[in-house]
Amino acid sequence: MILEAEGVTKRYRRSAAPANDGISLQVEAGEVFGLLGPNGAGKTTLVSQILGVLLPDAGSIRIAGHDVVARPEMARRLCSYQPQATAPVEGLTPREAVDLIGRLRGGRPGDVGRRGEELLGALDLLASADRRVPLSGGMARLVGFCMAAVVPGRVVVLDEPTNDVDPLRRRALWSLVRSLADRGAAVLLVTHNVNESERCVDRLAIVAGGRVLAHGTPSQLKANLGAPLRIDCSLDDPSRPPPLPNIGTGWVATGRRLIGQIQLPEAGDAVSWAKTQLDAGWLVEFSVAPASLEDVYASWVQPDQTQTAGAIG
Amino acid sequence: MSLPPAVRSYLLLVRWEFLRRRQLVVMFVLLQVALGVGIVYGFAFLVPQITPTVAVFLATGAMTITLTLLGLVAVPQEVALARVSGRQGYLDALPVPRLAPLLSELTFAVLMQLPGAVATLALAAVRFHLHLQLSPLVLPAAALTALTAAALGCAIAVSLPPNATQQVTQFLSVGLLLFSPVAFPMSRLPAGLQDLHRGLPVAYMADIMRGTITGHYDTSRLLAFGVVMAWCVAGLATCGRAAARRH
Repeated sequence: MILEAEGVTKRYRRSAAPANDGISLQVEAGEVFGLLGPNGAGKTTLVSQILGVLLPDAGSIRIAGHDVVARPEMARRLCSYQPQATAPVEGLTPREAVDLIGRLRGGRPGDVGRRGEELLGALDLLASADRRVPLSGGMARLVGFCMAAVVPGRVVVLDEPTNDVDPLRRRALWSLVRSLADRGAAVLLVTHNVNESERCVDRLAIVAGGRVLAHGTPSQLKANLGAPLRIDCSLDDPSRPPPLPNIGTGWVATGRRLIGQIQLPEAGDAVSWAKTQLDAGWLVEFSVAPASLEDVYASWVQPDQTQTAGAIG
Repeated sequence: MSLPPAVRSYLLLVRWEFLRRRQLVVMFVLLQVALGVGIVYGFAFLVPQITPTVAVFLATGAMTITLTLLGLVAVPQEVALARVSGRQGYLDALPVPRLAPLLSELTFAVLMQLPGAVATLALAAVRFHLHLQLSPLVLPAAALTALTAAALGCAIAVSLPPNATQQVTQFLSVGLLLFSPVAFPMSRLPAGLQDLHRGLPVAYMADIMRGTITGHYDTSRLLAFGVVMAWCVAGLATCGRAAARRH
């Protein structure tokens, strides 16, 4: 096991609730581990402690067998990191930024140059690699990813790598995240991009209120949902939802969307019901699809857990 | 032969400082020169008669101010900005010695101040027809003065909330320009301020600059260098403690 966190607890001064309340997780080499949770769940607090920047109040964190709470310099050597905020690239060209971090992480100039070129190329950034223009938010974030990946640590921590990134580059980014793990790194991925991350993560934990609510592989978590399908309806008028049918469970209406969980034998009845509502003008469109990670996430994270007082990240 | 990792990290961080602010380097140097010229010429308006003693104070004082102002004003603002923008958090997670980012920032500040200081002195020498007796210690004294100012500036920034830093450094720059025995003799200050300056580093910074340029120290060479070094170490230690602290 490369990364082992056990009972990590952190409480900020002037805060009633702990930001991390006994969080435990393990990430193996070659694995992408997703950390999902609402804003203020305590994800970034956990990351800062893994990186040796923040001191836990209780619990232990070991990376490749080293106690990094006692020896934070080992955490910095063993982890490479893409922050949630934009990496400090101002004034530099993307190539310079990637090159500097690669060499600060101990890479040899030739190797760093080649790997930087490969990463910038894979993300279609070569055309602007030598330009010192102010980068857009998405571009700066991609450069931040390259800085974390150019000389990857045994643990690669990526905090919201896909924010502001366009769909095509996001696809390339997911494949680079996967390849970091395939090359042997343990990747800890913090993300709100629940559905896209499903294709990339091996295991994940859902965190809210500073605690791990659920963890496992995407299929294990989906199997625990209790309903393998979901029906997703778009309402014509959100203030006038249609009468709910006697099938399905866990119906939730948010804005124009109405989502319910359904069992396989109910699929036919659900489609007939939705078709009737569509014809009657209550619905604009609908779909029936296998349950996704977003359904798992929604089943664990209740709306009142989306903000935890005093917690960060 | 490869460099020790700590030195390599430091040099790469210095490179980072220069690369990210390359557009500002020329402006920094020109502003420092302009500042020196301003002090040499501007202070001369305040003094009705430029005697040789006054001229020496103006010339060496202008040099001391050019060497300290960037460290006491620009460095803390840069440190405060780094804390707010997340740059500091990023540097904290890099595998480099804790003091290396700070030392690279200070190196940049010192190197930015030296050309302006030299130009100021040369200009003052021409303007006031000064005959300088430069000691070999002048360069170490200038570097120590600039480093101490920058280390103290940084210590202020790490000890205060970011939004308070700017106000405090502006207050300091006025104090440095008008109420410090840098461009005029200590004897002109009221007794209270004289006592205060015997404990602060500014008068001693001016003294080591004046001493290494003219050969005449106001106090003793040993005392002046000793006090400035002590403040330098205290400033660096404060910054080092802040860099190593985990909340």
